[in-house]
Amino acid sequence: MSAVLEVTRLRKTFGGITAVDGVSFEVRDGEILGIIGPNGSGKSTLFNCVLGQLMPNDGTVRVDGKVATGMRPCDLNRLGVSRTFQLLQVFPQLSVRDNLILAGQEHRGSMYSRLIGRADAGLGAAADRMIDFFRLSHLSGEPAGALSYGQQKLLDAAMAFMAGPRLVMLDEPAGGVNLTMLGHLRERLQAYHAEHNATFVVIEHQMEFVMALCTRVLVMAEGRIIAEGAPGDVRRNPIVIDAYLGH
Amino acid sequence: MSRLGVMAVGVAAIVAIATPFFLKPFGIYLITMWVVLTIAAIGLNLTLGYAGQVSLAQGAFVGIGAYSVALLTQAGWPYPAAFAAAGALCFGIGWVLGYPALRVQHHYLAFVTLAFTTLVFLVLRNEEWLTHGIYGISGISRPTMLGWSTAKPRDFYFFSLGTLTVLAAATWWMLRSPWGRAFVALRENPIRALSLGLDTRRYTLMAFAIGSSLGGLSGALYAPLVQFIEPNSFALALSFNLLLMVIVGGSGYFFGPFVGALIAVLLPEWLRVTQGYYLIVYAAAIMVMMALCPSGLLGLAERALKAAQRHSPRAPALHTEATGS
Repeated sequence: MSAVLEVTRLRKTFGGITAVDGVSFEVRDGEILGIIGPNGSGKSTLFNCVLGQLMPNDGTVRVDGKVATGMRPCDLNRLGVSRTFQLLQVFPQLSVRDNLILAGQEHRGSMYSRLIGRADAGLGAAADRMIDFFRLSHLSGEPAGALSYGQQKLLDAAMAFMAGPRLVMLDEPAGGVNLTMLGHLRERLQAYHAEHNATFVVIEHQMEFVMALCTRVLVMAEGRIIAEGAPGDVRRNPIVIDAYLGH
Repeated sequence: MSRLGVMAVGVAAIVAIATPFFLKPFGIYLITMWVVLTIAAIGLNLTLGYAGQVSLAQGAFVGIGAYSVALLTQAGWPYPAAFAAAGALCFGIGWVLGYPALRVQHHYLAFVTLAFTTLVFLVLRNEEWLTHGIYGISGISRPTMLGWSTAKPRDFYFFSLGTLTVLAAATWWMLRSPWGRAFVALRENPIRALSLGLDTRRYTLMAFAIGSSLGGLSGALYAPLVQFIEPNSFALALSFNLLLMVIVGGSGYFFGPFVGALIAVLLPEWLRVTQGYYLIVYAAAIMVMMALCPSGLLGLAERALKAAQRHSPRAPALHTEATGS
């Protein structure tokens, strides 16, 4: 299987603290890779370095073999890498439908062709399908800010899929979501994965969610990868148990 | 737009066309001033209300536009060419002024643009070889185009109203296109917008450039309207006044600037009976309004309509203009 994302010896320091310490891994086409680890293990910093939000001190990031280290997030996104954030990030005053159209419109033509083109950038039907897929139809015209937290989380995830990305990176999608909504979110992500053979990377704390969703798991502690494998194996790995529970 | 919105705009258009036939020249001058300042306020509403970039420079752009047209027409340029040049010049300067906005936001950006306004004022006052300094430029004539002389107040009013209509329609088109959505995204969450592929740098500069250009075009009408311009007209007070129009009318609402400019132009005249107390009454009214309804008069209207809808669920909805679609 070919690698969609390839990270080589990535390092990021903040003053004297090394948050990510020479991490290398690859994401294979069509897999759902989970990245877990205790708080402060460097997961989010790793994400931000890969996604152009932070400039790594060292190392390279390749997307489909193309070097993408330190690329601006908007350019990276147009290369096919999409993301969600740990904290909720929807546009509260735009309607649910407009949030989704916005999430795809920058992939349609040039900035100037969009100015004279259609108001929905030709994405109206795609947005409606996405709304149906995430079962938000009854809320389509509502401002996103009026949705419940769980519904906004769904919308947030849906937005990451609007541009038909090559790779979706989800930063704690389950954070703060109640159990019913969590099951719904997981089921929708799995359905999307099955339908489009999409590739995901998921950072998560919620163990059950990761174990049920991911096909492979990386474990981080103190800025390094300490274990890797199938969800069941990782769970039984003494090094992992040790990192989570301490001595 | 909802049916109610279309009706409101239709009624307003009829009133705007009929009004000058019932007014004396000074009244026509005032409503022309309303039209001219509305154009500048639309520009500021784009930069501030939609794209979320605070600017205290809009008055300076009105000044740049006014001086460009005055100097160019007196140098023999036909008015339409001078008009276009004023818009293009302000577009360019606005684009450059947008660069600080890529680094600083909110009150810091307000200070950057405030400094720019002061700078423009100093250039207008001190560079006498170009601007005639404090003596200003007098005898600016109103244009004659295709045999139509706009020298009379009512003609110039209709010329300005026509220009406003065209510019407002162009702005409406832009805001209902994907650009409008992108500007709102820029205001609400630039980091997320960037991660969705929005080139936030280009959209920020564009918001500044287009907003400033509308300021310049407003100035291009201002000069032939008042026929005498001098630096003080374009000092900081005008920028604050335009900011007030946008906020009072309803920042981020398409028709906010129309309402805000109407109040800023007419209220001083209506309050004339209070003589010296005019500014006190005006200031107090603004303070009360900002405390009770920071989203401006159109925000207030929207709230009232929503409340009415709750009581009668079949009432037509006032469209939330902020989405631009």
